[in-house]
Amino acid sequence: MASQDRLNTHLSAVKTSTLEAPRPAPLLRAKNLSVSYGANQVVRDVSFELGRGKSLALIGESGSGKSTIARAVLRLLPDAGHATGHVDFDGQDVLSLPERQFRPLRGRAIGFVPQDPGNSLNPVRTIGVQAMEAAALTDEPNAAVRKALILDTFAQVGLDNPLRVYDSYPHQLSGGMLQRVLIGLAVLPRPALLVADEPTSALDVTIQKRILDLLTRLQHDLDISLLLITHDLAIASERADQLVVLKDGAVQEAGKTSAVFSAPSSAYARKLHADVPALNPERYAGLRNPGFRLLDGAASTPAKIEVKSVTKTFTVDGKALTAVDDVSFAVPAGTTHALVGESGSGKTTTIRLLLGLDEPDIGNISVAGEDLSGRSHKQLRSVWRHLQLVYQNPFTSLDPTWTVERLVREPLDRFKVGTPAERTAQVREALANVGLGDHLLSRKPAALSGGQRQRVAIARSLVLKPDVIVLDEPTSALDVSVQADIVEVLLSLQAKLGLTYVFVSHDLALVRQLAHTVSVMQRGRIVEHGRVTDIFDNPQNAYTATLLESIPSGLSNPSQQAPQRQAVRAERREAFA
Amino acid sequence: MSNAYLTYAAKRLGQAVVVILLAYVFTFVVVSILPGDPITSVLRNPQNGFSEQEIAEIIAAQGLDKPVPVQLWNALSGFLTGDLGMSMRSNRPVSTLIAEVLPSTLILAGAGLAVALVLAMLVAYGTRFVPKKYGQGLLRGFPSLFLSVPNFVIGLVLIHLFGFQLGLFRVINPDSFWATLFAAVALGIPVSAQIAEVLIANLDKEAEQEYATVARSRGIGQLKLFIRHLLKPASLPVVTVIALTIGELLGGSLITETVFGRTGVGSLVQRSVSTQDLPVLQAIVSLGAVVFVLVNLIADLLYPLLDPRVKILGGAKRRPTTTDEPSLGSAKAVNP
Repeated sequence: MASQDRLNTHLSAVKTSTLEAPRPAPLLRAKNLSVSYGANQVVRDVSFELGRGKSLALIGESGSGKSTIARAVLRLLPDAGHATGHVDFDGQDVLSLPERQFRPLRGRAIGFVPQDPGNSLNPVRTIGVQAMEAAALTDEPNAAVRKALILDTFAQVGLDNPLRVYDSYPHQLSGGMLQRVLIGLAVLPRPALLVADEPTSALDVTIQKRILDLLTRLQHDLDISLLLITHDLAIASERADQLVVLKDGAVQEAGKTSAVFSAPSSAYARKLHADVPALNPERYAGLRNPGFRLLDGAASTPAKIEVKSVTKTFTVDGKALTAVDDVSFAVPAGTTHALVGESGSGKTTTIRLLLGLDEPDIGNISVAGEDLSGRSHKQLRSVWRHLQLVYQNPFTSLDPTWTVERLVREPLDRFKVGTPAERTAQVREALANVGLGDHLLSRKPAALSGGQRQRVAIARSLVLKPDVIVLDEPTSALDVSVQADIVEVLLSLQAKLGLTYVFVSHDLALVRQLAHTVSVMQRGRIVEHGRVTDIFDNPQNAYTATLLESIPSGLSNPSQQAPQRQAVRAERREAFA
Repeated sequence: MSNAYLTYAAKRLGQAVVVILLAYVFTFVVVSILPGDPITSVLRNPQNGFSEQEIAEIIAAQGLDKPVPVQLWNALSGFLTGDLGMSMRSNRPVSTLIAEVLPSTLILAGAGLAVALVLAMLVAYGTRFVPKKYGQGLLRGFPSLFLSVPNFVIGLVLIHLFGFQLGLFRVINPDSFWATLFAAVALGIPVSAQIAEVLIANLDKEAEQEYATVARSRGIGQLKLFIRHLLKPASLPVVTVIALTIGELLGGSLITETVFGRTGVGSLVQRSVSTQDLPVLQAIVSLGAVVFVLVNLIADLLYPLLDPRVKILGGAKRRPTTTDEPSLGSAKAVNP
C-alpha cells in the first residue's frame, strides 16, 4: 500500500512537471479518432500523442481496434473503412489530405512494419525488386548507389549475407530474416515515424527478442518515433515510453509506461496484467499443486507415457534430416509434461510419433503400458481411445458445417460407445466439464467465439474419457484473456479427472504456469529436462537460458521482478516441504 | 536449368507421348468396334459407283482385309512416321488434306487466343481502375454474361453489325483481314470470359494480401501496384486456364468457320463426317489430342519457371528454420 501511495505521488509529480515545461509539438497526434465499417464502429474517440524520438504502444486484444488505428494513420484502411476526427502528423491532418498529397508521406515519412512477415512480401518477386521500391523513396538517382544503400541497410538490420538476401525470393528466407528485411525496408528512407503492427507475433520467442531489440536500437540510432501495436502487455511495457490500453475501440487507460504497468487504474488494464503468464507464474498454483504431489510419489508407479530413445529421420532434398534424435521422457499419470522449443526443434514430430501418426525409426513409445510400435491402424484405434489431441487452431480444426453436438458426439459414434441416449448424456457432460451450456448444442462453429471453439475442441477430446490429452499449442491462436480461461479449464479438468497432459508450446511463460515437468528441445534433441520449477529457476543449459531470457517480463528493470520471484520461490519451498 | 527440372521435363514429356498414343489407339478401337461397317457401306453405296474389283483393291490398299490388331499396328506405325494414310473419299493423302486447311484454322485459333487475352486483360484492368459509379459492376458481370452466350450467336451478331450494316468486311471473302478479325473476336469472346473470370478473382485475392498493403506503405501508387505486384501472381493460374481453353478454341473454331464460311479444319471435319471418311477423322481426332497434350505440356513446363515457389521434386521443401538466423552480435551490443 505504501508503495502504491509513493507511486501516486510520483505520478502526480510527473503530471505537473510535464504541464509546466514548454512542450515541443508532438510528431503524431490523434484526436477523437473514430473509424467505422458501415454501421460498425471499431474505433471510438481515441486520442493520443507521440513525441519525436519517443515510443508509444497501443495495447489490446483482437477486435480492440489497435491495428485499425495503425492503418488509419497510414491511410491504408480497406475501402469500406471510414475515419473521422483528426490525425496530425508533423502539423498536417492526415485524414483530410488528398491521396495525391498524402502518398509521398508513405514510406518517406511514415514507415510500416507489418505483423506477419511470411505474407508481407510479394512471393513471386525477389527481395531486391521490392527493396528497390523503398530505395526509390530516397530520391537517389544512381541505381548502383541505391543498391549499395539497400545492402548497407540489410547489414544494419543484422542480415549476414545481404547480397544473397537481395537475390532471394521471400519463401527462401525464414520468418525472422523476412522481418529483418521488412524493418530494413521501412527504415531505409529514414522516416520520422515507424508504425509496427504486432511485428513479432508470428515469430519464435528468441527471434521475437532479437527483432524487438533491433527495433529499439534503430529507434535510438536513427531518432525515429515508434508507434508499436501489440497484444502483449509485457512487450509493450519493455519497449514503449507510453501505453494506451484499448478495448472495443475505446481507450481504457493511457499514460506513462511505468504508471500504467505498475499501477493500472482501470479494471481492464488490471485484468490484462493478471492474464499475462510471464507476469503471474504462480497464478494457478492451487490447481497445479496436486500434480506436483503425484510427481513426488511417481517413482513407485509406472509412467502413463514412456518415450524411450526415439529417433526419426526424414529425407529432404536428398539429405537426411534427423527431426527427432534419441528423445526420451516419461510422464507420470495426472501430471503435465511440456515440450518446448522453437520452430523446427522436433516438437511436432515427437507428438506425431506419440500419436502413432508416424513410426519411429528407432526406440519405442508406450501409452498406459501399451507399446505403440508395430501396430496396425486398427490396433492403434484402441490406443487412440485413451489418447486424444487438442489441436492448435480452433478456427480451422472444427468442421464449420457441423453443429457443436455433432462435433462432440462424433468420437462416441465412431467408437460406438453406449446407446444413443447415453451418448447424448455424455456430450452434455463433456460440454459441462469445459463450462459450456446446453444452449450451444445446435450452434455451428461460426457462431462461437475463439475461446468457445477451443472449449468445444477440448470437450470433443474429453468425451471418450481418455487418460492422456496431447495439447498442441492449444492457446497460441487465442487472445491472452481467452488463453487464461482455457488454461484454467485445462487445469481444473486435470485436477477433477486426473488427466495426463503432454503440452507442446513455444510459450515458456505459459509452460511455467501450467506444466509440472518440461523437456527443452533444440534441433531434435532434448537439451534439458526436469521439474518445471527447477529448470526455470536454475537452467543448466545455455540454450534453455537463452529461451528464458527471451520471455518478455515487462519493464526491462530486473530489480522490480527479483523480490517477487524470490518470494514465490520461498512460498513454493514451504508448499513442498 | 537445374537437374531436377530436366528430370521433371523428361518425365512430363514421356507422359505426354503415352497420352497421345493412348488417344490414338482409343480412337482406332472405338471406330473399329462401332456397329455396322461404315467402310464397306460407303464403298458399296451405288452412288459412288465402285465396281466389286475396285472395292477389293481399295480394301487391300487400305489394309482393311487384315485382322484389327495388324491394322492398328500399321496405322500406329504410320502415325508415328507421319503417314496418316489415304482418304477414302478423295483418294488423296490425309496429311495433304489436313495441311491444306490447317493454316487457316491455326490463324483463326491464334487470333482468337490473342483477342481473348487482350480482352480479358482489359476487363480485369478495368475492374481495378473503373470506379464503382462508372460501371465497374458491369465489367465484373462480363465473364458470366459472355460465358452464357454461344459463340455462333456472337458470330452472327458480328456479321450482321459489321458485315452487313457497317460494311467493314464482305461475307463472300472470308479470308480478308477484317473478316478474320471478326471471326477471331467471335471465337475469342467466350474464351476471354473464362480467362477474365480467373484473372479478376485472382486480382481481388492478391489485392487483399498483406503484401499489397505493405507495398502501398512504401508509397506505391495503384497503377504500379497493379503492374509490379498484382499482375504476375494473379496471372500464374491463367497459364493453366489458357491451356485448358485450347480445346475450346479448336472446337469453337470449327463452329466459327461454319458461321463465317471459312475453309478450315472445321469444313474438313464436316465433310469427312458426312461421308464417313474414317482415316481423315482418325487423323483429325489424333491431331486434336496432340495439340491439347502439347499445349498442356508447355504450360506444365513453364509453370515452375514462372513461379519461384513451385518446387519441382515431389519431396517436402525445406523450410528455413531458426537455426538459419544470424546470431546478431551488433544488435545485442547496442541495446542497453
